[in-house]
Amino acid sequence: MARLTAGIATSHVPLLGVGIDQGKMEQDYFRPIYAGYDWTKEWIAKPENRPDVVILVYNDHASAFDMNLIPTFAIGCAEEFAPADEGWGPRPVPTVNNDADLAWHIAQSCILDEFDMTIINKMDVDHGLTVPLSLMFGRPEAWPCKVVPLAVNVVTYPPPTGNRCWMLGEAIARAIESYPEQLNVQIWGTGGMSHQLQGPRAGLINQEWDRRFLDELTKNPQRLRGLPHIEYLREAGSEGIEMVMWLIMRGALNARVKELHRHYHVPASNTAVGHIVLENEA
Amino acid sequence: MTRDIHAYLAEFEDIPGTRVYTAARARKGYWLNQFAMSLMKPENRNRWKQDEEAYLADWKLSDEQRDAVLARDYNKMLELGGNIYFLAKIFSTDGLSFVQAVSSMTGMSVEEYQQMMAAGGRAPEGVRSIEGKY
Repeated sequence: MARLTAGIATSHVPLLGVGIDQGKMEQDYFRPIYAGYDWTKEWIAKPENRPDVVILVYNDHASAFDMNLIPTFAIGCAEEFAPADEGWGPRPVPTVNNDADLAWHIAQSCILDEFDMTIINKMDVDHGLTVPLSLMFGRPEAWPCKVVPLAVNVVTYPPPTGNRCWMLGEAIARAIESYPEQLNVQIWGTGGMSHQLQGPRAGLINQEWDRRFLDELTKNPQRLRGLPHIEYLREAGSEGIEMVMWLIMRGALNARVKELHRHYHVPASNTAVGHIVLENEA
Repeated sequence: MTRDIHAYLAEFEDIPGTRVYTAARARKGYWLNQFAMSLMKPENRNRWKQDEEAYLADWKLSDEQRDAVLARDYNKMLELGGNIYFLAKIFSTDGLSFVQAVSSMTGMSVEEYQQMMAAGGRAPEGVRSIEGKY
């Protein structure tokens, strides 16, 4: 049977992709940001931890989805997905290979479980999906695992509630448990942490709120699922709303998880970078 | 979480210096955002760079939206229904980074904005709520 072993959360700031693609990782600005991923890179490279498949929860930033199509939860079911051209040419990173059997299994299971998933075949994947892969795996010739893209609308309001995200996570976990192949599966939640990219209030960072969010992923996750959108907006900036996606990851894990690693750094571009690795406990 | 959509939307207007991308803004900004999206294609970027006004003539923007685009007035574009991830295609085509474009909305110079970010960013105190002043 497939096993969901761990959850990872990370920011997906586009600049962090640029830094890796252009070999700037040792520059003073970037070094402390990337250093926080060294532990995870080493951990995830060990055979016992390496995932066969990652369910990668992210949001599309007006790359694959324009204003003509706004799916709340869209699961990528094609064999592969190419890096998107976001206005400056596609990132020089490998094509993302899906485990389409597992993706379809999750889509079908979640729909029967009363989550009305949108199924996507043709889709380019933007920095929201490719930057987390680069942060964990560096610059390989090919990504070392399969990736099931799960795109969440956090752009046009209302996005899904944190509670709904949590419940989708639970449904994804049930789907993984009922998949007959022997697979080590991880789920990643991406985006955040506090940041605001628009208007006179741009540049907002709330370290205290972010750190509490990180703490409560293990200590009090049930409180997080009830946070209303307005709290994310007021406290963590308009783009801080991306953190509802972390709750899909957390909802998919067991009630008890062990925090293996954490990293927090301000700033990367306009954003507070947060990263955490959680292992499922029995 | 409120289930009353009117109360839910009303709260968004209470955040200083922020325009939440609601359905009302999405409707108003449909063509503005779709125009911006078109700049993801290299051939469109080339045409746009050659003659911005001619390029815009193909899109159903209001005069106000068109002027805001030509002036690269991002706050105005947000007010007229633009969304930052769509508008990012415009400033990316201009060769600007997120920090350069975003700082232009704050009344600070790029350098001042970068200094603020390096010092930990804009503190939330006093900019959470217009009415509550906290």
